[in-house]
Amino acid sequence: MEKLTVEAQPRSERGKNQARQLRRAGLVPAVVYGGAAEPASVSVNPRLVEKILHSEAGHNAVFTLKIQGQGETPAMIRDWQPDPVQGSLLHVDFLRIAMDVRLKVKVPVHTRGEAVGVKQQGGILEPVQREVEVECLPSDIPDEFGVDVSGLSIGDSVRVGDLKIDNRKLRILTDPERVIAHVVAPKAEEEKPAVEAAVAVEAPAEPEVVRKGKAEAEGEGAAAAPGAETEKKNEKKK
Amino acid sequence: MLMPKKVKYRKQHRGRMKGKAWRGSQLAFGEQGLKALSPGWVTARQIEAARVAITRFMKRGGKMWIRVFPDKPYTKKPAETRMGKGKGPVEGWVAVVRPGRILFEVEGMPPAEAEEALRLAAHKLPVRTTFVTRTTLGD
Repeated sequence: MEKLTVEAQPRSERGKNQARQLRRAGLVPAVVYGGAAEPASVSVNPRLVEKILHSEAGHNAVFTLKIQGQGETPAMIRDWQPDPVQGSLLHVDFLRIAMDVRLKVKVPVHTRGEAVGVKQQGGILEPVQREVEVECLPSDIPDEFGVDVSGLSIGDSVRVGDLKIDNRKLRILTDPERVIAHVVAPKAEEEKPAVEAAVAVEAPAEPEVVRKGKAEAEGEGAAAAPGAETEKKNEKKK
Repeated sequence: MLMPKKVKYRKQHRGRMKGKAWRGSQLAFGEQGLKALSPGWVTARQIEAARVAITRFMKRGGKMWIRVFPDKPYTKKPAETRMGKGKGPVEGWVAVVRPGRILFEVEGMPPAEAEEALRLAAHKLPVRTTFVTRTTLGD
């Protein structure tokens, strides 16, 4: 991947008003932290960040962050906040990194091939772990781990310990016993008889109401009260 | 149908559905999902109808997760009843859905089939929805 440079402008004002103004202007608020320097509030062009997130290396891509008037530093995307509806970026966290210091990153794991259990036995390949945490130098971060699942039958699984990695460069921090993917037998859908289903639809059972000791005492008192009132009324009638 | 096993109070106020679903707005289990784009109450019956639609389309060929739970009781006064005399009996259970909420997730199906299964489910729901995958930013 070509070396990317993200230009950022420092920002002094904080708060949602200023953040919204920035977003209207086509920028997103961001923060830079890590390393020896103090954390800095900046604003960046979201298109550049989206380009990095959609690249092959994804959020593990190392790029040059150029802050106006403060020089350049190698950085990574540590976190990002998308809008839940539009999916557009709202905020980004950048992490300053040193190229000679090992760091912990999460690398995506992708399955390759079609499992025997899926193709011939009708099972379902279920990915359990989609990312594996590794420790390595920034220049050694792999884009992804590929796992061949073509030999898996129903009940078989691939574990983190089965990953083929270069132990001199990478150290896996995730438990090696953790399952990456397994082939499971499909669950048969229980078809309820029509009569039972109709009963279930018409008469939903009431859930149990949790009551505390005090509430119970009050409830009893409340229950007794209407009886007392009727007695009084009867007396009046007499 | 889905409903809580135990509740603290039998009836609730109606509440408001302001804002977006910041929680539960990203895919957590499956490869594809159905995301709400408008707010609304999704009843237990609607969730069940959507679940059945997805399951029947999948024909044992995938896995599905329901990401909403109807934990809010809604009440209704009986027909031909005068106003007053207290709140009506509980009629059913709903999940409060805000825009951005992931409603269903599926796994183990080709993307086109997953989209079709979720499209069928979307027709059973009272909210506008969209099909999302993990390649979408933020998922």
